[in-house]
Amino acid sequence: MPSEVTPSTNNHDFILTALRQNLRLDSRPLDTYRPIDLTFSSDPDTYGQTDVRIGKTRVLCNISCEVGAPYPDRKFDGVFTISCELGPMGSPAWEVGRQDQTEIILSRILEKTVRRSGALDTESLCIVAGQKCFHLRADIHILDHDGNVLDAACFALMAALLHFRRPDVSIEGEEVTVYSVREREPVKLTMTHHPFCITTSFYPSRQGSDDDLISVLDTTLQEEQCRTGSLTISLNRHGEVCNIAKYGGVGIEGLSVLTCVNASLEKAKMFDRLLKERLAEDEKARQAKIGAMGLELSAENERVMERPVG
Amino acid sequence: MAITILPPAPAHENAKAYHGDSSDNDMDIDDLPSGHRSTTTNIITPGQTVTSDPQWMRGHGTFADTDSAAIRSTLAGTLQKTNKLLSIVPLRARYTPEIGDLVIGRIVEVQSRRWKVDVAAPLLANLLLSSINLPGGVLRKRTSVDELNIRAFFGEGELLVAEVQSLFQDGSASLHTRSLRYGKLRNGYFMSVAGMGGGAGVVRAKRQIFTVQTRSGGEVDVLLGVNGFIWIAKHVAEKEDVGINRMEEKVGESMYSSQNDEIEGGTRREVAAIAGGIRILVAGGVKVEEGTVRRAYEAGLELDERERDGEMMDSERGSAVVEMVLAGG
Amino acid sequence: MPLDTSTYALAHLRLDGRRWNELRRLHAQISTQAAADGSSYLEQGNTKVLCTVSGPQEQKGGRGGARDQGNEAKVDVEMNIAAFSGMDRKRRARSDKRVQEMQVTIASAFQSTLFTHLFPHSTITVTLHILSQDGSLLAACLNAATLALIDAGIPMSDYISSVTVASAPSSDQSLDEMDPLLDLNGLEEQELPFMTVGTCGRGPGGGEEKVMVLVMETKVQMARLEAMLSVGIDGCKQVRGILDGVVRSHGKRVLESKVS
Repeated sequence: MPSEVTPSTNNHDFILTALRQNLRLDSRPLDTYRPIDLTFSSDPDTYGQTDVRIGKTRVLCNISCEVGAPYPDRKFDGVFTISCELGPMGSPAWEVGRQDQTEIILSRILEKTVRRSGALDTESLCIVAGQKCFHLRADIHILDHDGNVLDAACFALMAALLHFRRPDVSIEGEEVTVYSVREREPVKLTMTHHPFCITTSFYPSRQGSDDDLISVLDTTLQEEQCRTGSLTISLNRHGEVCNIAKYGGVGIEGLSVLTCVNASLEKAKMFDRLLKERLAEDEKARQAKIGAMGLELSAENERVMERPVG
Repeated sequence: MAITILPPAPAHENAKAYHGDSSDNDMDIDDLPSGHRSTTTNIITPGQTVTSDPQWMRGHGTFADTDSAAIRSTLAGTLQKTNKLLSIVPLRARYTPEIGDLVIGRIVEVQSRRWKVDVAAPLLANLLLSSINLPGGVLRKRTSVDELNIRAFFGEGELLVAEVQSLFQDGSASLHTRSLRYGKLRNGYFMSVAGMGGGAGVVRAKRQIFTVQTRSGGEVDVLLGVNGFIWIAKHVAEKEDVGINRMEEKVGESMYSSQNDEIEGGTRREVAAIAGGIRILVAGGVKVEEGTVRRAYEAGLELDERERDGEMMDSERGSAVVEMVLAGG
Repeated sequence: MPLDTSTYALAHLRLDGRRWNELRRLHAQISTQAAADGSSYLEQGNTKVLCTVSGPQEQKGGRGGARDQGNEAKVDVEMNIAAFSGMDRKRRARSDKRVQEMQVTIASAFQSTLFTHLFPHSTITVTLHILSQDGSLLAACLNAATLALIDAGIPMSDYISSVTVASAPSSDQSLDEMDPLLDLNGLEEQELPFMTVGTCGRGPGGGEEKVMVLVMETKVQMARLEAMLSVGIDGCKQVRGILDGVVRSHGKRVLESKVS
C-alpha cells in the first residue's frame, strides 16, 4: 500500500517554528490564500467544466446531465449526485477503488454544503412530476493534491454549477421535447445561494500546550501534515452557515470557533467575488466568439436544415 | 380494585450529577497511607485534579498541563502514594507485563526464530527459540535444524506457561520457559479472567502454581497466570530423585507432546469444580490467589454436603461461597 | 410538518414537555459486557447505544505483521446501526457515508484525548451498537465511547461529553430572535437546524472546556451560532457531570466488593 510521505521531524519542526513567527514557506501571511486560478472549458458548447487551481492543488469538476425518472419518494425533485474521484494522479496515497478518510470527508462535506443546504434548487430539474426529471451529476477529480483539497473542490463545484447550462425543454400536453444546444439556448441552473468551504488549520503555539493555537488558512500539503486540528466551515456571503465540521483533533475554545466563522465569511465573500468576475469574463468571451462566428454558424444550420428537404 | 398511578422514577439512582465541589482539589493526600495496598475508597476520575501542590511527583495514570503544576488523573481509580510519588490505580485495565511475571499464553504466530504469544497484553509477547528448553535437556546453541523444526516445539494455538524475562522499549514482553515448571500445557482446562490491573482477578502472589488435593479426583494443579489466564490440570507425578544429571529424563520427549494423558471422570469433575469456584470469586469481586481458590473449592464441597439435593440457586450458592471465602480469610 | 415550532412558541414547552435547556434522561451503565476490555450502555432519552472496547492489542493477522502504525495506538471505530433501531426497518449499509463520517469523527476525537503514545503499535477498537435511535446519535455515541474507554482503563486527558443544540424560533414572537434548544429528540432534529457539540471538559478547577467535535449540517444564520455554541458547551458540562456520577458510583461498587 503506498502511503503518503510524512515530513521528517526536522521538516515538521521547521514548519512549526516558522508558523510561530508568522512565517510560511511560501511567504504568505497566515490568512491568505495561494493564487486561485479558475478556468472554464474553452469550447463554447461545453458548459459546467471547471478547472480550479489553488497553488499547486488542482481540481477538475465536470457537470453532466441526462433525462431520467425521479425517485418515487421525491416526485417533484430532480436528481443531483456528487461523486468524488481521488486517484493516484492526485497523490500516491490514493488508490482507485479504495476509500480513504479524505474521500469520505470530502464527499460528505460537499454533500452537506451544496446538497443539504439546498444551494441547487432541485425542483427546477423536474420536467414531468413523478415521471421525468434531469439527472444532474457532478464529477470531481482531484488532479493534484497539495493541501486544502476541500476548499478547492467546493469552489470548483460551485463554479461548475453556476456555469452549467442544461438543455431547454418544452412540454405540450404529454409531449416533452428536449432541445439540443444548437436548437435552443440552454438554460442556467437555479441556484438559491452560493456556499463556499473554508478550512482553518490549527497549530500549537507552544510545545506541548493546546492553549493558544495558531490558525492558518489554505494550508499546503506539508503544512496540513503538521497540523493538530482543523475546522471546516461552509457559508455563503450572507453569513448563512450551512456546515461546520470539526472531526476531533485538538480542542479549541468556543470563542475561537466564532472568530473562525467571522474570518471565513470574509473569505467566502472573496470567493464569491472572484467567481462572479470569472463568470462574467467567460460570458463575455463566449459572446465575442459567437459574434465572430455568428455568420458561419447560421450558414451551417441552414445547410443542415436544407438537406432532409432535398 | 383501586388503581394508583405512580410518578415515573428513574431506573437507577446512580446517575446523580456530580458537581465539581472544591473539596476534590485539596483532598488530604498527607493522610493517605503510603505503600501498595492503600485502603482509600475515594474514587478519582479522568481529568480530575489530584493535587496542585508542587511537592508531589506524578506517576502512572496522571499527567500535568504544561502551564500548571497541578497533577491530574487520566484514569478512573484510586490514588496510590509511594513516598512522594502519586499514581492512580485503575479500577480495571488490561494486563501490562512486568519482569518476573508468570504468565500463561497462547501461540499466535510462528516465525523463523521466535514465537509470538498472546498474553492478553497490549502487544504480543515474544518467545525466542533460544529461551526454551530443548527436549532431552541438552544445552547447546540453536542450529538451523532447530529453526526448521520450530513447529515441533510449539505450534499455533498451543498454550504454554512462561515467565516474563525482559521488556522491550515498546512495553512488549520477552518470555522464557527455561525451567522445569514452564513449558507446554496439556491435560487440563483453560479459563480467562481479568488480569492484574486493579479490580477482581488474578493478583501477583508468592505462589502462582500450586496443587490442590481434591476429594475424589486426586491431585489437581492450578496455574494462575498473572495476566488473568488460568490453567487447571491433572497433576502428573514427578520422579522424586531428579538430580542435575537426570535432567534429560525429565525434560524427555513428553515435554513438547500435544497428546493428553488418560484423565478419569473424577478428575474432570474436580477440575470443573475448581474452575467454578474461581468463576464465583471473579463474579463476587474477590481476588484470585492460592488461598481464595483453595477456600472457594472447600466452600463448594461444604455446600455440596449441606445441600445434597442441590436446591440452591446459582446466585445464592455464589454469594454463599463468597461469604465463606471471606470469612475464612 | 412544523409541529414542534408552533407548540414551542405557544407554551414554552417542547414536544416531550421539556424546557429549552433541559436534557433528556441520561442513564448509563459501565462494565455491561464481561468479555470486552471495557463496555458501557447508554440511554439518552430513547437513543440507546451499547459500546464495547477491545484493546489496546496488537492487530493479529491482517497485513502480515506490518507494523506501520507508528509510535502510537490507533483508534478504530466500528458502528453498527441495528435495522430495527429507527422508525422504519432499514438496514444501513456499512459503506453508508453518514455512518462512515461518524466513525471518522469518533475515532479522531478520541485519538487526540487518549494517551495513545503509551501503547505503540497497537489498536484500540471501539464498537458501537445502536439499538434505538431518537436524535442526538453522534452525541450519544461519543458519550458511550467515553464511558467504555474509561472502563477499559485507557488513559485519557478528560471526558469527552457531547450534546446537540438547535435553534428554534423564539417563544417571544415580537422579537426576531431564536431560542437555542438543548438535546434534541428525533422529531426536533428533523425539523430544526442543529449541531452536535462535543467538548473535552476539564475537571473542576482545570480551566475552560475545549470544543473537540463540532458537526453541523443544516443552514443557520451566523449570528445564531454564538448562542447555540454557548448553550451546547454548557450542556456538555452537564453531561460530563452525569457521566462522572456514573463512573463514581460504579467505582464505589467495585471497591466495596473488592477484598484486599
